[in-house]
This record gives sequence, structure tokens and C-alpha cells, in this order.
Amino acid sequence: MIQLYNVTKKYGGDSTAVKDLTLKIGKGEFVYLTGASGAGKTTLLRMLYSAEKPSRGQILIDQQNISRIRSHQIPYLRRKIGMVFQDFKLLQSRTVYENVAFALEAQGKKRYEVSKKVYQALKEVGLEHRLQRKPLELSGGEQQRIAIARALVVDPLILLADEPSGNLDQAVTFEIIDLFKQANARGTTVLLATHDHSLNQRFPRRVLTLDQGKLVGDQQPQRV
Amino acid sequence: MLDKIRYFILRALRNMRQWPFLCTASILTMAIALATVATFFLVVVNVEQLALRWTQEIQVIAYLEKAPSQNDLADLTQNLNNISGVESVTYVSQDDAMQRFKKQLGEDASLLEGVTSDLLPASFELGLASKFRNQQGIASVIEQLEGFLEVDDLRYGQKWLERFNSFAQMLRFVGIVLGGFLLFAALFIVSNTIKLTLYARRDELEIMALVGATMRFIKIPFMLEGAIQGLLGGLLSLFFLTISFVFIISRSLNSFWLTPSHFELLFLTPNQQVILVLSGVALGILGSLSSLRRFVRL
Repeated sequence: MIQLYNVTKKYGGDSTAVKDLTLKIGKGEFVYLTGASGAGKTTLLRMLYSAEKPSRGQILIDQQNISRIRSHQIPYLRRKIGMVFQDFKLLQSRTVYENVAFALEAQGKKRYEVSKKVYQALKEVGLEHRLQRKPLELSGGEQQRIAIARALVVDPLILLADEPSGNLDQAVTFEIIDLFKQANARGTTVLLATHDHSLNQRFPRRVLTLDQGKLVGDQQPQRV
Repeated sequence: MLDKIRYFILRALRNMRQWPFLCTASILTMAIALATVATFFLVVVNVEQLALRWTQEIQVIAYLEKAPSQNDLADLTQNLNNISGVESVTYVSQDDAMQRFKKQLGEDASLLEGVTSDLLPASFELGLASKFRNQQGIASVIEQLEGFLEVDDLRYGQKWLERFNSFAQMLRFVGIVLGGFLLFAALFIVSNTIKLTLYARRDELEIMALVGATMRFIKIPFMLEGAIQGLLGGLLSLFFLTISFVFIISRSLNSFWLTPSHFELLFLTPNQQVILVLSGVALGILGSLSSLRRFVRL
């Protein structure tokens, strides 16, 4: 589903965020991307949803080479990818319903389809009773669940999460990871960037470790 | 398709409701800019109209060296009538001239006591055919008149007309330059005001791009919003213009220098009013487009 071949990302001068990265993530896999701050996790994710272009190397998403993707093709790539961020990236002036519906409206879905899917997605994250609330009226955990509902409502092939639990306590974090696991069980490939090792201890999965932009570890989960 | 149109319109209206201050600022800026340009346009149009009107009323006065005898008068009148461009010939005898002078002096006519009409020259007032009521037409009539030995002096306000025409021409030039500059300034201000609204909504633009919205999908509601604001700005400028025309411009000008010629001040024609409002729409869309280019990146 995700393939990288000798991918390097440089930002002017000598600053190299990702160095010569080669890896494959198969369809339906759940993978942790770990590493200290500045290891290149966010840059790698940004390249996967084409917010950045690699300086060198090739990136394939669902068989499509996106290394030199044209800007008018980017929206269609992003429709295959759900994204979850540490700061939730919700529209504070809009209701919970509108925030989730936004993703479907942006893809030009019909109104009746939008309302049905939004309700379903919010039910899956347990927030169907908060439809008309504004994000700021909700807790951090609830806001992140809205963001996850927004990412999953479009039935993405891939779910990218960048430190989704960075602002949340552990109990809420585990609830969030549960939601990712459910999406993964339905066939969505999940790539979760985190520096929280407790996640892997509780929900062991394949772990990719980055250090100063290089891939320094690729651990498969230990079978119990 | 209908769903999309409905979404775009609702989105544009909601955006405007969400940022009432910025929205009002945009509308007012456009209204003031358009009203200023339109006011200038009205001034230029009215001055040109006035020049035209004055040219229409123009006549040539040929003063005679000495009053002609009855016989000569008939011949002279005939000859003057034959000049191409001359439509009417009116003879003003020395007595007639004196009567007019007295009438003009009114209460001070007593000053003329003891003065005989010999003092004033007899003259012909020549009305011109409409085709000749312009600078070139007058010049051609004058050229022919200069061949008449009986004619001592010619008065036709040529210098004054030339000056007025060059003033009108300068006004037109200044109008075009200043109008262009004002429109450019308006576009700049509008685009900056819209930039402010976009800056306030940069999160929304970023999130739209992240969830897979196409450029067109992101831009259309903003362009529509610019168009709606432009429409409102255009209508408001028309309102400003009408109010200031009725209560300020026409009252002050009519009571001042235009009354003698019974000149009706011109306002924008219905077509020009539509153009003014549509200019607002175009200004709004252009302002949005130029700002969006900087803010929306995938």
C-alpha cells in the first residue's frame, strides 16, 4: 500500500529531514512510526499526503507514484488517506456534525449520503449525541474522536496519524488506539507516528524507528 | 450539481455571517471606491454635456464698419445667407443695439442720456447649422466671413470655446487616469480586506485542502462571497451616488453657475447604473481571486 525507495528530503542548505529511506507497508497493516522529536516522522507523513515532495527517491501510494504528483491530482490522492493530528485541526466555528460532514462535502458527496455517513461515523466514535455541539465545548479526547470520525467517514485506504495522543491522558489514548484498531480491522492501513512506547507495549504491532531521518529499526510484533 | 450550487451559496452566506465586521469592511470599501469613481465620471460627463450645450447655442456676431443702406442691407443679408453653415441671419441696427444696451443697464439706463445710437456699431447675428456648431465648423464660417469688406470685427467666443474644450479634454484625461488609479486602489484595498478574511480563515483553507477538496471547491465559495459583497457594494455605491446627486451636487450646481442655460444635470443612465453594480461584482471576484492565489495551496 505504501512503498518508499531511497527517499530523501532536504530543506535548503544542509538540513536533511529524511535520509535515503526505503520501506514497504502492506495493505491492511498497522504500523507504529517512532523516534525522538526531529527524527523525521512528521516529514515522512507530510510526504505521504503530498504536503511535501521528496528531494530524491520514489514514493508509491496504492500503486501510484506520487513523487512528482501534479497539484491538481493531490486532492484525489488525499481522498484515499485519512489524517489525524495532535492538534485535531477542527473548525472551531462549526458544529461536530459540520466538521465531519466537511470531509464528505469537500469530495462532492450528495446531501443524503453525507448525513447518513456522518451519523454512522460519529456513532462509531461514540459521539452521535453531540452532533450540534461546537468542538470547544468538548473534552480533548472527544475532539480527537471527532477528528478520527472525520478521517474515517470517507472510508480511506490509509489512515495517517501524527502524535494523535500527544495532548491526551493515557486512558483516552487507549480509547483512541481502539478506534484505530477497529478501522484497521475493517481493512484500513494504519501508520501511527508516536513517541509513546507504552502504546506498542499494550497493542503490539510492527514498529518503524527513525533517527535523524534514517530508518534504524523495523521490528515485527512478538507473537505471544 | 444542484447540491453543489446549494452548498456553495450557503457556504458563502455563512462565511459572511461568521465574519460580519470584515464583510462589512469589504462592502463599504467597494461602495466608497465605486461611488468615488462614478462621481468623477458624472462630473466629466456633465462638463462635456455643458460644453456641447454651449457649443449648440453659439452664434457668430459680425460687427459692421458702418450701418448699411436699405439696398445694401438686402444684398448683404442675401450674401451672408449664402455662406455654407449659416442657418439664420438677423440684422441688429444701431438703434436696436442701443435699445438692448439700455435694457441690459436697466435702472442705470439713465447713464446713456445724451448718447446717440451712432456710437454703437450695427451688426449681423449669424445662427449656425447644427453641423457647424463646433470648433471646425465655426472656423470655416469665420474664414468665409473675413472676405466681407463691410465686416469690421467678428465675435464668436472662439478663444473661450477653445479654452473650454481643452479644459474638458484635460478633465477627460484626468478622469481616465484618476479613475483608473482609483479603481486600481479599490482593487488593492478590496483584495487586502479579503486577504484579512482569508487570513482569519487560514485553518479552514488548510483543513479543506487536507480532506481532499479541489482548488475549485475551495475557491468557489470565496469567489461567490466576493461577488455577493461586490454586488452589495455596487448597490450601496449607487445609493450613495443618488443621495449625493439629489441633495448635494444638483442643488448646489443648479443654484450656482448652470441655471442661466437651463441645463439639466445628467445622472447615470440605467445601463450605466447596471455597469456600476456589475463593476462591484467584478471587483469582488477579482479581489477574491488575487488573494486566494496567495492563500490556497495544496
